[in-house]
Amino acid sequence: MAELTTTKLNAESHLLLDQPLLRMPHELSRRNQKNAQRYVENSTKDVLSSLTAAAKTASKRPTPDAALSSLDSIITKMQGLKRKLENLHDEEMRIHKSNRARLRHLQDLYEVQSLVDVKYDEWSRTRLSRLLVDYLLREGYSESAAHLAASQGIQELVDVDAFVACHKIEKSLREERNTSLALNWCKENSKELKKQGSMLEFELRLQQYIELVRQGHQAGVGDVDTDMDGLNGVSLDGASTGAGEEKLVEARAHAKKYLSASGDFALLGKAAGLLAYRPWDDVKPYSELYSESRWTHLAHLFLTTHHTLYSLPPRPLLHIALSAGLSALKTPACHSAYTAPTTMPLTSSSNCITSTSVCPICSTELNELARNVPYAHHSKSLVESDPVVLPNGRVYGKERLRVFCDKVGVEPGWVRDPVEGLGGMKWRENEVRKVFIM
Amino acid sequence: MAPPPPPTGMLELLEQLDVLEKSANLSASIHDVQSVIDLLTAARDKVAADPQTAPLTLAKLQDPVKRSLEQAQKDIKPIYSGLNKYGKALDKKFKDKPIPPASNDALSSHPRLVNRAISMHLLREGEFSVASTFIQEAHRHPPRPEPTASTPNPSMNDSREADLAEESFNSEKLQGQFREMYLILHELRQERNLEPAIRWARQRSDLLEARGSNLEFELCRLQFVCLFVGHGLVADDDEPMEEDPQGPLEAYKYARREFGHFRGRYAHEIQQLIGAMAYWQNVVDSPYRRYFYNNTAWEEVATSFTREFCSLLGLSADSPLYIAATAGAIALPHLLKLQNIMEKTRTEWTTQNELPVEIPLPPTYHFHSIFVCPVSKEQSTDANPPMMMPCGHVIAQESLDRISKGTRFKCPYCPMESHPRDARKVRL
Ligand SMILES: [Zn+2]
Ligand SMILES: [Zn+2]
Repeated sequence: MAELTTTKLNAESHLLLDQPLLRMPHELSRRNQKNAQRYVENSTKDVLSSLTAAAKTASKRPTPDAALSSLDSIITKMQGLKRKLENLHDEEMRIHKSNRARLRHLQDLYEVQSLVDVKYDEWSRTRLSRLLVDYLLREGYSESAAHLAASQGIQELVDVDAFVACHKIEKSLREERNTSLALNWCKENSKELKKQGSMLEFELRLQQYIELVRQGHQAGVGDVDTDMDGLNGVSLDGASTGAGEEKLVEARAHAKKYLSASGDFALLGKAAGLLAYRPWDDVKPYSELYSESRWTHLAHLFLTTHHTLYSLPPRPLLHIALSAGLSALKTPACHSAYTAPTTMPLTSSSNCITSTSVCPICSTELNELARNVPYAHHSKSLVESDPVVLPNGRVYGKERLRVFCDKVGVEPGWVRDPVEGLGGMKWRENEVRKVFIM
Repeated sequence: MAPPPPPTGMLELLEQLDVLEKSANLSASIHDVQSVIDLLTAARDKVAADPQTAPLTLAKLQDPVKRSLEQAQKDIKPIYSGLNKYGKALDKKFKDKPIPPASNDALSSHPRLVNRAISMHLLREGEFSVASTFIQEAHRHPPRPEPTASTPNPSMNDSREADLAEESFNSEKLQGQFREMYLILHELRQERNLEPAIRWARQRSDLLEARGSNLEFELCRLQFVCLFVGHGLVADDDEPMEEDPQGPLEAYKYARREFGHFRGRYAHEIQQLIGAMAYWQNVVDSPYRRYFYNNTAWEEVATSFTREFCSLLGLSADSPLYIAATAGAIALPHLLKLQNIMEKTRTEWTTQNELPVEIPLPPTYHFHSIFVCPVSKEQSTDANPPMMMPCGHVIAQESLDRISKGTRFKCPYCPMESHPRDARKVRL
């Protein structure tokens, strides 16, 4: 039979929540290295060709000023490169330092063998702080996240900057309806996104197209007073030059440049149809493309793409940990109509046998949250030793009942129910009977 | 020669990080770029000093500049391979530790409740300023619920949960209560001042006594000990207590003044304290040593105080968020195994009524008594409570109904016969 309780800690299988902790710095390091390589490659090409050109000029028409000024410009370029590399070097060392702190933190767990060791307790508290900061960052509460990280001294274990940058882009889509930051990001990560088969850039370009068409139709209302031909201001001969018309022409050019290569003919057909249907015509499927909810969709798509790129899990790890924890701790009693208001760890040491503390699932913080999760499975009853039952049906360990009655000063020969305390009923000791729980 | 044992834990990754930090980094390339700048500057100086040399100088510059720039590119390669090697080791380390999938998330559909739990956690941990930043920020940007397997339509109950969360989330009262707790704890731990804690306990002595708590007496006893040894500070680990001849007198006065109402319940303990006074010159060697040479006394009363304070608020003594997240981390390896089995049946453990496997937790993580019916092997619930037969054996209501079929029946565990109406519901 499986063991019912355990205090053994196996670090190797315990680290299910911790992979993203190491993935992020690794991804950042790789990006940093790629940037450095790109800078050096581009500068090399640039500087060598400038130098060749300068040498050629000098050999043909030797004017010292020209030679000096081309040397000066090359020196400036190289100094620029050096500065960029120095910044990247600072960044790479910063990432390594933070990565070292993370590896050390995880290594610390390997030094602990027991779940009841205070060292595990400390470690687990740090982990909770990490998970909380991660949650706050994901939800966009970056001020709180930075504040908590600083207060707990775990700045090196969390990725505030990366998430702040991510949320700036997400917000530019969701709230400002602006594609430029997101497109920039796509450009910076184009290689990886292509490898991923990401549709983000295409969707952003499509949105740009939709906005151009929208503007065209809106401006077109002013261009043509009556819309008798049903073409919504789109003239077939291209003679008209209203502002709306210009926008629609721009839209067509945009589509040709960015969308046509996709090969998604159904979508391209729909996109072309937009030219004939105005946003307020409310005709499907065009109304879906005009819909404001596309911006939410884009924001979502960006987040998913970003998280995949940085090997971040799609949902906060805090949720994963808590969902599992709520179920592992939950009992049918936690949402019972009859549960005693106070409960206690069953293995309280003898000196605090009467002290009760509230179950975490019964506590206000988690009770409602735990309502929808399964409760823990138990294959055996778990009760205090020597159980006895009071006339009101409540079962207690004989020893705990005795200590409680001593402490609150119940007269000898009488007992009271610890749950009801001094305010409740009182019974003679001989009314308490033994109960057999198997 | 035998190969060295493979490094355990994170040591292999740490070793590879060493290489990246110490050598495989951009400093070499920066050095190369600087040498290009040096070459260019030297050439410029030469041309400036003697313009006639320009064509030759520029021509001679080509090769060394090219070489240095190529070197700068070459020097990036070790970073690339170092990171690759590190990446492979990272993959290997976590190969058997996959990130639990999003289907394990039952909470994204209740973000307001999650936020409330977090703000309460921050308050109870004494992070008041972080809590207030968070409460403001969450107020400005209310969270968006996402569907989960168990709650596919989270927007349906969002407004109800918003109300529920609002109650305590924005509550100045809760904040005030935890502030008071921290103030008292600060006085206890840092200032070694018992007064505020004693005042708090005395104001609630009825409630505490009804719970069977002896917090007030514990606090007063420590106060007595402090007076006895003549100063507010009980000895630290390295510094034995010094006895002050005035101390026992002060302590005696204190006992006469304050212990009166403890007489009934703590007669024995008080007797022992007073008994110790006879040994005032050398309490260390007296039988009462344990009351006095107790370095953990302050931490113990602080813990008792926290427990009682939270219990009176209906809250658990340790942060539920901490206990649940820790229990979750312990449970996840077990649930992961389960996941692989359940994938075949296309069910999620988060949508079940009861977890299909037992999760072994440390004993301190059990807070309720559990009754598992020995007949049906099911846990008791409100609908299926434990029933005690006249013989004292307990089985679940449904099992009782099934065995008895409404008439006299024999207990499955002893020879006694009884009628089902004689069975009594018990509560664990
Ligand atoms: Zn509970
Ligand atoms: Zn029986």
